[in-house]
Amino acid sequence: MEKRGKKGNILTENIIFIVLNLAFLSILLLFLLSKTSETAVLEEKYAKQIALMIDAAEPGMRIHLNMEDAIEKAVKNKINPSDIVSINGNVVTVKLSEKDNNPQSSYSFFNDVEANANFDTLTQKEYYFVISGK
Amino acid sequence: MNKITQKHISKNKKGGEKILSVYWFVILFIVAAAIVYMTASFYGKPYDVRQVEADLLTNKIADCISEAGYLKDEALEPQFKDDFPGNCGITFDVEDSYGPKEQEQYYIKLTLTDFSSKNNVFKAKEGNVNLVYSCNLKGNNLPFCLKRSFYVIDKDNNQYQADIFSIVRKTEKNVK
Repeated sequence: MEKRGKKGNILTENIIFIVLNLAFLSILLLFLLSKTSETAVLEEKYAKQIALMIDAAEPGMRIHLNMEDAIEKAVKNKINPSDIVSINGNVVTVKLSEKDNNPQSSYSFFNDVEANANFDTLTQKEYYFVISGK
Repeated sequence: MNKITQKHISKNKKGGEKILSVYWFVILFIVAAAIVYMTASFYGKPYDVRQVEADLLTNKIADCISEAGYLKDEALEPQFKDDFPGNCGITFDVEDSYGPKEQEQYYIKLTLTDFSSKNNVFKAKEGNVNLVYSCNLKGNNLPFCLKRSFYVIDKDNNQYQADIFSIVRKTEKNVK
């Protein structure tokens, strides 16, 4: 009888130990995921990526960019998907939230071209950029 | 004697296991703290894309003066030098966040040297010349400098060496 009790104890302790470890690891994973998909991080990433893409482009090109994660985030923050990317002159601005005023959300490109950003209404997860000469 | 020893051993085992689990959680806490610190320091800094930008700027200038290894005829014309960045489709306009004093975030210099006589055939520079002095310095908040050279030939098979020197500042948006 005593032996059985001890075995039960060992099993419960082990289960609690494993559950606590799993809880710890999942909290850590959630923290990492939340950091990588932060609004400010995505805004900076896409603003720079689009600016560099335009720098490398030539007039007559049409470039598609998958922005699924950013579009999902914008929709959650009640931002119209077609208002996420705006290009004024040679400055690209990416806006995923109304709240924050992130200075990293805009970046300029040196390529002297006319670039237009358009939300792809067919796929609902892409933006396409039309490059034309000035 | 045997019984007493076994009891002691089993008690010590339990104690040992408890101590082990405490140590285990201490280790987990240290690992968590390290991961949080690393993540915060990594995502707290902006992405530094100036190297790619300087590369693209250099490629743009190279494509502007040469095509398939041959020097473009217009590159040697005097009016090309007058508006060198404009003729290459380059603009130095940037967003307002850099402030009026630091508006010019780029510097480019192109030198074309005759390979046999070593004479400068073409020399043009444009942008913020003050950035050049930061290139030999060591530190974090400094502009990114890139030097590239390549060889081209003209229609008459004269050989030239093209040296392109590009600098991108934009430290506010790329370095913390």
